[in-house]
Amino acid sequence: MSDAIISIKNFTMKFGDTTVIDNLSFDVRRGETFGLLGSNGSGKTTTIRTLLGINRATSGDLLINDKPYRVDGGVRLGYLPEERGLYKKEKVIDIMVYFGKLKGLNASRARSWSLAFLDRVSLQDKANTRLDKLSGGQQQKIQLGITIMNKPELLILDEPTKGFDPVNRRLLMNIVEMHQKSGTTVIFVTHQMEEVERLCDRIILLKDGGSRAYGTIQAVKKQFNGMSLDDIFLRVYGDGSEARA
Amino acid sequence: MHNLSTVWRFEVSRTVKKKSFWITALSLPVILAAIFGIIYFSNKTTNDQSATVQNTDFSVAITDQSGLINPAYMSSLNAERVEDTDKQAAIERVKSGKLDAYFYYPANISSASVEIYAQDVGLFDNSRYQAAAYALIDRSVAASVSTQQAAVMKDKLIYSAITYKDGQPYDNVKQLIAPGIFLFLFYLLISFFGNQMLTSTTEEKENRVIEMILTTIEARTLIIGKILSLVTLAAVQILVVLLPVVAIYLSFGSQLSMPNIDITNIPLDGVRIAIGATIFVLSFLFFTGMLVAIGAASPTAKEASGFFGVVMALIFGPLYAVTIFVSSPESPIVRFLTFFPLTAPIPLMLRNAVGNLTLPEAMIGIAILAISAALSLSIAIRLFRFGALEYSRRLSVKEIFARKS
Repeated sequence: MSDAIISIKNFTMKFGDTTVIDNLSFDVRRGETFGLLGSNGSGKTTTIRTLLGINRATSGDLLINDKPYRVDGGVRLGYLPEERGLYKKEKVIDIMVYFGKLKGLNASRARSWSLAFLDRVSLQDKANTRLDKLSGGQQQKIQLGITIMNKPELLILDEPTKGFDPVNRRLLMNIVEMHQKSGTTVIFVTHQMEEVERLCDRIILLKDGGSRAYGTIQAVKKQFNGMSLDDIFLRVYGDGSEARA
Repeated sequence: MHNLSTVWRFEVSRTVKKKSFWITALSLPVILAAIFGIIYFSNKTTNDQSATVQNTDFSVAITDQSGLINPAYMSSLNAERVEDTDKQAAIERVKSGKLDAYFYYPANISSASVEIYAQDVGLFDNSRYQAAAYALIDRSVAASVSTQQAAVMKDKLIYSAITYKDGQPYDNVKQLIAPGIFLFLFYLLISFFGNQMLTSTTEEKENRVIEMILTTIEARTLIIGKILSLVTLAAVQILVVLLPVVAIYLSFGSQLSMPNIDITNIPLDGVRIAIGATIFVLSFLFFTGMLVAIGAASPTAKEASGFFGVVMALIFGPLYAVTIFVSSPESPIVRFLTFFPLTAPIPLMLRNAVGNLTLPEAMIGIAILAISAALSLSIAIRLFRFGALEYSRRLSVKEIFARKS
């Protein structure tokens, strides 16, 4: 098995006449935390959706463990999409057990894990509450729990802190750090440079469907004359005058 | 199909836990009882008012052991008088097609049946024999008693009718029961679960749960799991309708003067039942695919429901022309509606039930439905995969087929 858990080669994506991703290539190494950065519309979510088989690439290869992703392909995936939600009319515990079973847990294991998670995030009394009776922040915690309940080997978080309050943000960071320590490969799709600086080993900056910078945080900073990631972000996405890396 | 049972169980259990499901399910027997009640009283009133001999343009022989039949009225029917000793011979003439009908009025008509033997002329037209037999004795007796006495006597006679086809006893009503069950089931399934099929996929889209689902199970597994759950829920609904009826019949049938139904006498025509079952399954899959596809292509349940009325009109519109399917199976409009995929299910099942769907017609209809079902399900799954991510707009047909699968 190669060092790269994710390998994207010459990926191009067109919707009609519009080219969203143009010949993009990068790898994500096993066990690292990787930042997929870019402004709105830069192609981050399209790349992730295509990697996970939700969209189909116009051309190129997007591989996980050297093969295209399939839901029954043996990859333990945790995916928190940018567009997120759950079955609103069902009880919290029923939803969690359902997804647990879909992810390969048996019913009793899914239930016990879910109850333990609810206890950990202070929602132990909400197990039998309908999801739409919870606050937005509480629903986000449930979704986060569902994302990690199968102990993923690959955890993809698309704009994970979007709409999170500081408490939930801290909870998320703790969970990410816990998974980092256990060897999980984490992909962070974001434009929050503070989180990137704190968590990521390597990053790629996307703009207009192409790579503007790619490598370790130190290497990217060096490429931009030691600027902070915030300044790099502003420079790359502020006026669009940078040459492609 | 990994996780199919998980999807099926989740979809079934979350639906049966809803009050709305049980309110709908339990309201159906009540509605059916009301409809049957209205039909019963309507028919009774119609029969009460029928006092004239109708549709008498058929040859008829009569044995009158009761002595109540007025010879003048028999003559008006051009009826042939037959002695009691020749009863069996008259029945044989009916069987062989030499005589259209034979009425036997027993000596004691207050306890024994008026027997009717006749050529089968179709589900609706067979009623002319009983109408004629009734009118004959009604008019004969009415002429010899007062109006009040005649009123008291109304509806006290018992009739037993046997019709023949190809020399064999043939009961049109009983014949259509077994293959007709599929028509009833189809109507029930689509009426009560069509909207659920339509919104079953918009729910995932509206709740933004679709990406998590599509990265956890195959779209095909989810769709099939949902369809199986709907079938299960439909079975629950059918039981909710049938169990009270059976329980009431077994417990209070005699007190309520309900007809004595012997299910062992229901004819089972294997070929017609097999054709009916095949048409039913394919029709269900076809329309499920269509409804799921519409749901998957629409951004919201509200927008999808706008198409529901159109689909329902196409499916059940032919029911308004039910008489033409029974009486004129050769007409061009019947043929068109029978083979046009969107209207085919009802004509095919109805005509199969009443016995005027030929085997070649059935085969063509089944082939059309099979192709339509495969196409609609395939498009539904494709739309679910691609249309599911269109949260705010409806996919165009061009886009659906332009995308790589």
